[in-house]
Amino acid sequence: MYQKLTSERTFLAGSSSNSWKGETEEAVRPANLSADGRLATADDASLVAACAQRVPGAFQELLSRYRRPAITLAYQMLGDLEDAEDVAQEAFVRVFQAIPRFRGQASFSTWLYRIVTNLCLGSRRRRKATVPLDAIREPTASDSPSRQVTEALVTRQVLAAMAPELRAILLLRDQEGLSYSEIAEALRLPMGTVRSRLSKARMAFRQIWHKLSGGGEEQT
Amino acid sequence: MTCRLYEEQLSSYLDGELPAARAARLEAHLKTCPHCQAELAALGGISARLREASNLVEVSHDFDRRVLKAFGYWRVTGWQRPVKSHLRPLVLIALFLLAMLGAVWHWFTRPIEPAPEPAPAYSVAAPVPTGGPPPVSREEEKRR
Repeated sequence: MYQKLTSERTFLAGSSSNSWKGETEEAVRPANLSADGRLATADDASLVAACAQRVPGAFQELLSRYRRPAITLAYQMLGDLEDAEDVAQEAFVRVFQAIPRFRGQASFSTWLYRIVTNLCLGSRRRRKATVPLDAIREPTASDSPSRQVTEALVTRQVLAAMAPELRAILLLRDQEGLSYSEIAEALRLPMGTVRSRLSKARMAFRQIWHKLSGGGEEQT
Repeated sequence: MTCRLYEEQLSSYLDGELPAARAARLEAHLKTCPHCQAELAALGGISARLREASNLVEVSHDFDRRVLKAFGYWRVTGWQRPVKSHLRPLVLIALFLLAMLGAVWHWFTRPIEPAPEPAPAYSVAAPVPTGGPPPVSREEEKRR
């Protein structure tokens, strides 16, 4: 797929392969490459390679795929949407800038999640990342009209009361669906630590949820 | 082995990360322990709760634009370089002034057409044409 993308690009852009200066880029439009859906169907590795060759449209495709996961991960970590979007934006910029040096040892998603998580765990935001459990009030009926919103609010409060390291590993596994090895890669932890910390995180989530929900509700 | 020790293994068991021998022992315990069964079900529900909560997050519609702008996408790819927003009024003013200059230049450099010759004035003595055949000159008369 990447070969097809680059050959198409070379054909459209002429003999020059240097796209940094933008000499020939006027001929290469995302519409040309994405008109038949090839960018949309390319796998992440092909898109990363296309980004390294500065194929227009490849950046937008990666962005569209991982925009929401990155923001929701940051939001669940930080509890503030504006901060979450700032973190996600910074993570994408770092990733895009480093793509020419990306060796593909980890998957793109693992790489992105690692940056998002590290930014969230950064000292500047970490100060307000954890809310004392006593400071959290139980949601009332007036807080939200639906059960889904109420539960989302409780979930948000439970996460806010957890330690950031436990919160990060829980979100990477149970929200983003990373495997243990991917989590180990993202957080730079040994597999044994991933296993024990995830167990601890789930138990903490259970206990805090139990307390916030009055102890009567069990998860289904 | 107490329930507490089994509880520590439930998380790994849930993800299929528990070694086979320990998983077999845990499964045997689960058959006889309603508490651990409930705990396993509860741990399995965390993922659904987190994903349900994340589905409610609404992403700003201009997030992509902000990322690409911060990344310098237009500089890197050279594709569709936009005029920076704070320069747009200046560009518009410059274009307007250029258009005015062009109009003024066109006005002053337009070719000047010669003024039309005034119509010949008829002398008082000359006969005033009154319709009829045109007067015939002497040369014409000789030729005839």
